[in-house]
Amino acid sequence: MMPTLNRPLALAEKELKMFFRDLQMLFFSLALPLVLLLLMTVAFGGQSQFNATAHIMNLDDGPLGAELIERLEEAPGVTVDLLDPDRAQQLLEDSKIVNLIVIKESFSQRLSEGQAPEILIRHRGTGSTEGQIVNSHVAGIVREMLGENLMAQQVGAMLASTGSQISAAEVRDRVAELFAKARENPLIRVEEEAIGARPEPVAQFLPGIVTMFTLFAISLTAVSLVEERRKGTLERLLTTTLSRAELLSGTWLGNFGRGIIQVVFLFGLAWLLFGLFTPASFVSILLFGTVAVASVAGIGLVIAAISRTPEQANWIAVFFTMIMTTLGGSFFDTSGLTGVMAVLTRMTYNFWANDGFRRIILKGDALTSGPMVTNMAVLAAIGLGGWALALALFRLRGDAR
Amino acid sequence: MSEPFVKVGDLRKVFNGTTAVDGVSFTMEQGEIFGLLGPNGAGKTTTIRMMSTTLPATSGDVVIGGYSVKDRPVDVRRLIGVCPQGLALYLELSAIDNLMFFGRMGGQSKGEALERARENLELVGLADRAGDRVANFSGGMKRRVNLAISLMNRPQLLFLDEPTVGVDPQSRNHIFDTIEGLREDGMTILYTTHYMEEADRLCDRIGIMDNGRIVALDTPHELKASVGDPKEVTLEDVLLDLTGRRLRD
Repeated sequence: MMPTLNRPLALAEKELKMFFRDLQMLFFSLALPLVLLLLMTVAFGGQSQFNATAHIMNLDDGPLGAELIERLEEAPGVTVDLLDPDRAQQLLEDSKIVNLIVIKESFSQRLSEGQAPEILIRHRGTGSTEGQIVNSHVAGIVREMLGENLMAQQVGAMLASTGSQISAAEVRDRVAELFAKARENPLIRVEEEAIGARPEPVAQFLPGIVTMFTLFAISLTAVSLVEERRKGTLERLLTTTLSRAELLSGTWLGNFGRGIIQVVFLFGLAWLLFGLFTPASFVSILLFGTVAVASVAGIGLVIAAISRTPEQANWIAVFFTMIMTTLGGSFFDTSGLTGVMAVLTRMTYNFWANDGFRRIILKGDALTSGPMVTNMAVLAAIGLGGWALALALFRLRGDAR
Repeated sequence: MSEPFVKVGDLRKVFNGTTAVDGVSFTMEQGEIFGLLGPNGAGKTTTIRMMSTTLPATSGDVVIGGYSVKDRPVDVRRLIGVCPQGLALYLELSAIDNLMFFGRMGGQSKGEALERARENLELVGLADRAGDRVANFSGGMKRRVNLAISLMNRPQLLFLDEPTVGVDPQSRNHIFDTIEGLREDGMTILYTTHYMEEADRLCDRIGIMDNGRIVALDTPHELKASVGDPKEVTLEDVLLDLTGRRLRD
């Protein structure tokens, strides 16, 4: 029994040693997907979950209307779009904007007098959820500004009653300065903590990147097996007592090991960089990843079995990966597909792997849920089918016993 | 009289209508070094491939240590070691990793493979380079690793297919010493080469092949005597006399 296990393990060990000594393969398997992940970090990592444009028409000639706009620009996720009256009217009429904030002419005057300033909100329908959130921001800022002005007036009045020579303007400036400091260092700090999955592009695309690169790297390992045939090491192996089943098991195990390294590395980094996982969901993604990699390792064997030259294996690997990645929805949502396309997409390894990874990351699905069990069953069937097909093809070619 | 250790009986191989080996028969005694000489395309390597179980014969059979290659290939594989003409090595791995890997493919445990790999590297004079990548070795050193791998499973019959191609005199001499040491230990060796002085020095008997057939088979001395004075004639003269001077490739 021991020799049977010993030989596949030795083959896998050799494959992994060669993997770690092949800088090109390491770059392709680990560094290239990492570069993509880092690009995503730069593109999406620091972004707030809320993004909206505040369309504003400022009719106020005084300084406080401009200050309101300034403060609104500082709000996280809000971009200010200043419009003149004609343009604003046109956009509203064309439904190109659905929410318009109008700072009225009297805004600065009423605010400086301690009266409630006037803001007009013009909107179509509900003005959109984003518009309503922006409106809340505006209302909050106006309340702050009113409070600050009232405070300045109260302090000015108190100082005047004590016979102080400090002017009202000086008091207002001093109070404004204090409030500005308070805004910079608030007594109450609000921090964001994402619980569970986050509907971000990183979470959407990461499974696609992982499935594409595991498939690509493992398909390319087929090249090395074909290369063994060319340089004579395969024939040399066949003069030992190694059986065909042991040869395929060992090669499969080596592919599996490489895939597992990729999955742990890429998802581990995604956890560190993007905080996509909880410890429990990370365990789930690794367990599901194990099934997915076992499946793709079987596909790698089939490519090795059907290729006659390293160049052939290379082209088959590239072509196969591109087709699978495109059809399998690595970079687009396949849920809306119908008819032939829906059938075709389900014939790819990527579809089932992507669906499983996305369910864990985006929906927090457990491995025992119905769709996850289906995904794992299909992937296991692909892996076993690939192994059996490769065995039959190797037997047919007489490459091994 | 005991049975020969190797019996090759009327071996034939036809590739797509072309006969590469055409009724080759010979025997080898245990502990003998048997040379197979001939021009390029004579059928030497094809014969070795059939004898070492990697290529099925069209007809005929080989019996090694009592096991038929056709019927008991796995038992035959337990008895043989093959040092192929090409460098069948993993250049990215170290010398000791290469040896250990092939040892484990022969069913050895990791510890056993390590022990034998060290012994064999010592034998071919590469013990001090055991951990170095084979890619950084000279041609002669790679040839010695190639030879050391074929000894990993302590074969009773060793196939050496042109083991000294492209190596410097020092490495060649070391390989000769190794082969002579193996003969002293009782190993049976089938040796092919294009260097006639090697065959003269090492082989007990020589079979000369041409166009897939054995055209002469005897001791080096008798072969030389068949064309002239053995003290004056070389094996090259014998080969050219038997196979002609026409270019083969």
